[in-house]
Amino acid sequence: MTGPGKVRFEDVVKMHGNFAALKGVEFEIEPGEFFALLGPSGSGKSTTLRILAGLDMPTRGRVILDDQDVTAQDARERDVAMVFQSYALYPHMTVAQNIAFPLEMEKKSKAEIEPLVREAARKVRIDHLLDRRPGQLSGGQQQRCALARAIVRRAKLFLLDEPLSNLDAKLRLETRAELKRLQRDLGVTAVYVTHDQEEAMTLADRMAVFMEGEIQQIGRPADVFARPNSIDVAGFIGSPPMNLLPGRIEGGQVVVAGKPLSTAPAGLASRDVIVGVRPGAVQVNGTGRAATVEFVENLGDTAILDLKLDGAPIRARISDGRPFADGDQVAITVAPQDVHLFDAETRRRIEA
Amino acid sequence: MSLAEPVAAPSGAALSPAASGHLDVMARRERRFAAALLAPAFIALGATTTFPLLYLIWTSTFRMDLAMPFMDGFVGIENYRQLFADPRFWQSLSVSMIYTVTTVIAQVILGLALALLVMNMKRGQGLFRFIAILPVVLSPAVVGMVWRSFMLTPEFGVIDYLSISAGLGSQNWLGDPFMALVSVIVIHTWQWTPFAFMVLLASLASLPDDIYEAAKIDRAGPWQRFWRITLPLLRPAIVMVVIMRTMVALTAFAAIFTVTGGGPGTATEILNLYAYRKSFTELSIGYGSALAVALLVVTILISAVLFLIRRAK
Repeated sequence: MTGPGKVRFEDVVKMHGNFAALKGVEFEIEPGEFFALLGPSGSGKSTTLRILAGLDMPTRGRVILDDQDVTAQDARERDVAMVFQSYALYPHMTVAQNIAFPLEMEKKSKAEIEPLVREAARKVRIDHLLDRRPGQLSGGQQQRCALARAIVRRAKLFLLDEPLSNLDAKLRLETRAELKRLQRDLGVTAVYVTHDQEEAMTLADRMAVFMEGEIQQIGRPADVFARPNSIDVAGFIGSPPMNLLPGRIEGGQVVVAGKPLSTAPAGLASRDVIVGVRPGAVQVNGTGRAATVEFVENLGDTAILDLKLDGAPIRARISDGRPFADGDQVAITVAPQDVHLFDAETRRRIEA
Repeated sequence: MSLAEPVAAPSGAALSPAASGHLDVMARRERRFAAALLAPAFIALGATTTFPLLYLIWTSTFRMDLAMPFMDGFVGIENYRQLFADPRFWQSLSVSMIYTVTTVIAQVILGLALALLVMNMKRGQGLFRFIAILPVVLSPAVVGMVWRSFMLTPEFGVIDYLSISAGLGSQNWLGDPFMALVSVIVIHTWQWTPFAFMVLLASLASLPDDIYEAAKIDRAGPWQRFWRITLPLLRPAIVMVVIMRTMVALTAFAAIFTVTGGGPGTATEILNLYAYRKSFTELSIGYGSALAVALLVVTILISAVLFLIRRAK
């Protein structure tokens, strides 16, 4: 997709006193892309968004927006729209006045503003609430009002800071789907901050995984899920998280808890590794290594077995938990292509 | 509960269903007990506020002249008829209005400006707040004395010294009718601006940061943020400050009394001061009471209007 909204971060560092909130963040976002910044709290994703918005200045590095260096520009000059986690609606204005505010700041005439406000409100389905004040709206309606205020002005960039985190679970699912549709319709570049991997996986075209002020991995959600490039990303993405077991590569075999688990990729020297296996990739069947069922978590359509594999805890996701009971002996296998190997020392992925 | 039974029976509760009759009696006894507890406070309050007020209104219907006691007697509304025809009453009323309007507006504007300034201070906010609050804790009489002697005395006063240094020459600050009025207005504003400042600062500090960030994203400049967001959100606090300061300014007394005593002539004679002079200098208690009642009525009317404005939105 072409058009405005191309973003580039070049070696951006943000210091708070002696604490480095961001340690050299670099990424690029294509026009029209839905880009998620994913990470646990305190990982620097919100700081990154605030720097992109122009609300904070980086200590070092450059922010490029559409081939123009905007590092020194403040938020007013950047032509971005943002949805805040708290919604940040103006409490003394009606919904209509809230949505109209960015247009009024552009010195648009009343006659121009009116239809634009109506259209934005209609897009997020709050056109029947235009005369209300934010205090008279439910959380979901306030969220829509904040969305309408952000989309009413066709900004180059659409920034969203954990916009769904204050909604209840059902509303979150609905709004998530709507957000995606809205962004597609508008064709605008969206940058989305979240700590919820499910949101990032479902919404984003690409995502950047933040850990402790650094980007660990950038890629399409499916790729990041399939090939996490470090132990930290592997442990963060996926629910339940990937099983991470200490092991060794010895004689062409991946050895966990003293016994081989699967064959190792060819050409790898003996060394200590962390073995990663997605719970969904653990096959519980009649053959393979013996394990004990510690606990069965029934989730309805699936079940999770908490197993002990020669003392090491390992989880398996299976489609039906009914045949199993606590204390059962089972046998598990893992296909070689489902085994992720990480260097125990550098914590990076070992490429086969 | 069993203790309540003997009381319940004679009060005729037997006619109603037992349970509700029981509760009725309990509630009545509770209410009586509560009234007994409140009574001392009510009596003290009535004796010190309501009674003097009623007595004042009663007195205002008499001619009571300590200089000519032989003329004393009930005159009905004669004092009020005289009051409406009294040019000095209208003069003092207009001084009161000028004094109130200018001091209240000055306090709100200066207080708001200071609050906005201090909000952006990174260090020393606590110290500034402490220094700013000092004038408020002083007695207005002391403030008046300090200003009259230390600040405004020709040749020696700080203000006069500054005026001389600035090439404006020595002024007779309290001797000239206009300058005297300006001086008492400045003194009142000086003492009470910190009150407006503290209230507005607290209100300002409670405004969330995120809506200012949203306003920046929406491309509002500093002035637009002030006029479109800060001011509307501070409106309740501003209206509250205006109401409280108006009531106090209308009944100001001590500072003006110590600085000018209402003079020169009647240049700084607000209604309150005129009532005092009439009652205790000219010893015309009856007419003085009528003036005090007039001040009361004016204060109530203005407060009522302000409260209506407050509720309007």
